[in-house]
Amino acid sequence: MFSVIEMIEYWLPETVLDNHQLERKFPEWNSNRIEKKVGIRERHIAGENETASDLAYEAAIKLFKGYDKNKIDFLLLCTQSPDYFFPSSACLLQSRLMLSDTVGALDYNLGCSGFIYGLALSKGLIRAGIASHVLLLTAETYSKHLHPQDLANRSIFGDGAAATVVSKVDQEHIYEFEFGTDGNGKDNLIVANGGLRNKYNHDESTAVGGTEFMRSDNYLYMNGPEIFNFTIEKIPLLVENTLRKNKMSLNDIHYVIFHQANKYMLTYLRKKMKIPENKFFMNMEHTGNTVSATIPIALKESLCQGIVKKGDIVLLVGFGVGYSWGATVVKI
Amino acid sequence: MKTTEFIDILKESLEIDDSEVLEDTDLKSLDNYDSLAILSIIALIDEHFGKKIKGEQFKNISTVKSLMTLIGMDNFDE
Repeated sequence: MFSVIEMIEYWLPETVLDNHQLERKFPEWNSNRIEKKVGIRERHIAGENETASDLAYEAAIKLFKGYDKNKIDFLLLCTQSPDYFFPSSACLLQSRLMLSDTVGALDYNLGCSGFIYGLALSKGLIRAGIASHVLLLTAETYSKHLHPQDLANRSIFGDGAAATVVSKVDQEHIYEFEFGTDGNGKDNLIVANGGLRNKYNHDESTAVGGTEFMRSDNYLYMNGPEIFNFTIEKIPLLVENTLRKNKMSLNDIHYVIFHQANKYMLTYLRKKMKIPENKFFMNMEHTGNTVSATIPIALKESLCQGIVKKGDIVLLVGFGVGYSWGATVVKI
Repeated sequence: MKTTEFIDILKESLEIDDSEVLEDTDLKSLDNYDSLAILSIIALIDEHFGKKIKGEQFKNISTVKSLMTLIGMDNFDE
């Protein structure tokens, strides 16, 4: 029993925050320079009452316009922005999407590596004969975790959701995986308060910051330099090991799609690994970094633009908060 | 690497065209010295020296010379 990515759709919230708007809010900010370097022109931001599960719902509804939802027998939702502590958002979505009550459904909490893990879990469920059509939803609203004055992170992250169907087929299309985890990196990308370890601090005056950042443990903190160091150290090795495990070289790969963190970081990693530019698909200009949704959104865009075609071999690489990382090779 | 060569690479990666940069120039006084500039310096040091500078070490960097000291003066000829 083998697996294939059968279909992808994605959904972005209506409200757009572009660099001109950011520049008006933060006059000292040079949007041209940032745009050139980071590769992001605009990002979509969820409404005040719009959650990640709402975005996941819309992405799934869009997908069901061209897909029989009665086929779905398992639902996976990757998010770090759940509606409640419990029940899990996957259960809410089973009901809202009017999926059969015989589906299995669960949330899992990962960030930028989440789509790769979702593919692995889907493949495992299919290989074990537990499911035949898995709806994999990756949905995120990091904007809600950002301090209003945190310009640096506001310029990078966007909200969005992707719906992917992984289905049983008679030839394997989702090849071998490599994974990695290093919880020592936990403090470098974290929302420290609001869980059960540290309560949300209602005294907002504890926030500290400068022109670019605003730091408060109630909100997302990212140590950019350390995250960059982590990717420089781990990702070239991850790519190498994934190719080796699949008995492939870069020559066998038609396209490489990384988690769309930002253009500067991706370009540096691409050059370091000597991945040809014409094989490296980047897509973040109109979405920003949508965390676990960037890879399926980029893959869908590459298909829509006729860049990646049916039968192509694509290397997918995810990495981020945790630290957590993973990669695989898929046949489209 | 020659110090002048290093300063040229540094200027290029920090996108400084006009202003003069010397060994005792304070990096924090440069217009473009922000979080992105720090990423550029990390990339530069990885590419040219195969070294890693930790995020917290950037707090101690002031002048070009202090950055060179962090990289290790044995990497520079003159």
